[in-house]
Amino acid sequence: MEETKRYLRSFLSQHKIDISSGKTALFDEFTASEKNVNAVKIIQENQKMIMENWMLKNKIHDILTQTVSIPNGTVNKKYYAKIDFNTLGWNDFIALEIEGLENTGLEFTKNDELVGTPEISGDLKIKIKFRIEGEPEDSALNEKIITLIINPDPKSLWKNLESDKNDPFWKPDNEAVAAKFLDKNIVIASKRGRSHANAGSFREDDFAYKNLKEIGWSVLAVSDGAGSAKLSRKGSKIACESVVQYFEENLKPENLKEFDQVLAEHHNKASDETSKKISHFVYQNLSKAAHAAHQKLEEFAVKNETELKNLHATLIFTLVKKYDFGYAILTFGIGDCPIGLLNKDLTEIKLMNWLDVGDFGGGTRFVTMPEIFQSDKFSTRFGFKLVDDFSYLMLMTDGIYDPKFVVEANLEKIEKWAEFLEDLKGKNEDGTKVDFDKNNPDIAAQLSAWMDFWSPGNHDDRTLAIIY
Amino acid sequence: MRRLPVYFLLDTSGSMYGEPIQALNNALSGMINTLRTDAQALDSLWISIITYDREVKEIVPLTELVHFQLPEITCPQSGPTNTGAGLDFVIQKVKKDVIKGSATQKGDWKPLLFVFTDGKPSDIQFYREKTQEIKNLSFGAVVGCAAGHMANDEILKELTDNVVHLASADSSTLKQFFKWVSETIEQGNKSQGTGESVTLPPPPSEITVVI
Repeated sequence: MEETKRYLRSFLSQHKIDISSGKTALFDEFTASEKNVNAVKIIQENQKMIMENWMLKNKIHDILTQTVSIPNGTVNKKYYAKIDFNTLGWNDFIALEIEGLENTGLEFTKNDELVGTPEISGDLKIKIKFRIEGEPEDSALNEKIITLIINPDPKSLWKNLESDKNDPFWKPDNEAVAAKFLDKNIVIASKRGRSHANAGSFREDDFAYKNLKEIGWSVLAVSDGAGSAKLSRKGSKIACESVVQYFEENLKPENLKEFDQVLAEHHNKASDETSKKISHFVYQNLSKAAHAAHQKLEEFAVKNETELKNLHATLIFTLVKKYDFGYAILTFGIGDCPIGLLNKDLTEIKLMNWLDVGDFGGGTRFVTMPEIFQSDKFSTRFGFKLVDDFSYLMLMTDGIYDPKFVVEANLEKIEKWAEFLEDLKGKNEDGTKVDFDKNNPDIAAQLSAWMDFWSPGNHDDRTLAIIY
Repeated sequence: MRRLPVYFLLDTSGSMYGEPIQALNNALSGMINTLRTDAQALDSLWISIITYDREVKEIVPLTELVHFQLPEITCPQSGPTNTGAGLDFVIQKVKKDVIKGSATQKGDWKPLLFVFTDGKPSDIQFYREKTQEIKNLSFGAVVGCAAGHMANDEILKELTDNVVHLASADSSTLKQFFKWVSETIEQGNKSQGTGESVTLPPPPSEITVVI
């Protein structure tokens, strides 16, 4: 009764009709009439229903237009995403069906999780069918689509296109050799990177080695041709070969006698004088070899009417001799390829060269750059070590060093080298092993197989030379 | 892992309202999908999308392509083109985001910047200050794209030598343009091994290179 009265007073007031004091009795009688009481009741029920319907529609609309973002997935990579209904404000669902996951490798669990291993890439449209509280039991379900982006498996995207064998400067995409190096063994594998295989371009790394039996020294050179230099495959080849050639032609037994003596003296009792003489010899001979490489590159550029920078290549090399008192190891390096010497009991690593690394990726230096030879830092590019024995002497390009050591600082940590050795010996994802037994005839193939390791973002050419 | 950071600075001033912004959204989405199927890009590409009109907005901060989700880009019905403010924002971000190499951390590849506009800077003085700063940052490439007859090629030339002109900002032209952009990015990815600038691939016929 009071409710009817309040409602009608408000209704009349909305129409600018006020009940004057003289009409109070009349109004009381009007609102008490059963007919009016019922009419108000029906109106109020209808209003309530309209309001509820609107709220329901509004709520459903909000859900349908709500942005739901779930993390992207990748084919063959475990996926997990929790659809948190509470956070989304979806706490009044009374029916829920998920469609669109058939044959995708994914499923929706009881705990509202989207889990599985995606099998197909693309924009996966997931249909969420739902009914919320207040909707009739038999009403059709609402449909909301959310998009799940599935990236392709990066491994599946790499193509392996053969390089053009008719190219005048063609070289094999992969090479692997094993041989003797002094009284030790050497194994070298050089492999075209996936980035090049994907485009059918050439391997740009190279290597060369030789036992110069007449003088008792052995030489090993490794070079990495620059990715953007169009003839760098030739550049790296020339660089390595001309170093070997230089030593072959210029180191003569008669000129080396004095140095043999200096080394013997140095071994007996190292003095400032012996050190100085050694530095002098190393500098004189190795800088000439590096310079010879530079000159050969220049000659090639002139002859082929191309710019020297098209031959950009880094260069590291080592010259090693065995004496009764140990091994003399001489090194030189331009660029970002390390030379590491591991001692006999694997407790110490000597990084023989420093690396040219810039502020940004790719900011290295090349043997093709004339300014290298004029720089004040040129004299610091040489390395020397006299050791009783060693376990491994390794030369590698950044295709190996980037994925396995990541940053320069790690090259001086023995634990990183220990890990690297373990990795070579089979402690890796694929269980690929290199057996360093001196009588293992398959070592070259093993190293080559090991070199196929997968490392995201590291798809450069890979070259690793190990004297063991 | 080395990242290739790529910044998109996109004009969302009033003149882009309507069909152009729709076309831009479609073209961007097409480009992202193309890049997703590139082995190299999927491994190293990081993308940021920044828009500028009266305000500068970071639509997507620098995000790995694998995790990248492109939201709908909208624009106001009218308002100025604060290109200078946009560049200023990019400069701050590049200084903060891009990792320089050292003995203990791996440096990123040099970042790429694509500036898209259909008009000319309203904040021309500020713009000129900022073009100089952009040049002093180590970008692998800065590409300016002027779309439609209102876009000023000459002013964009002050920012970079790499300026292309699109006849209009319609759907098919933008699609072509962003296809070319993805090729340029892939190129940037390939020039690993030198510190030199990225060589741009030849653009399709819809795109005029401004000399």
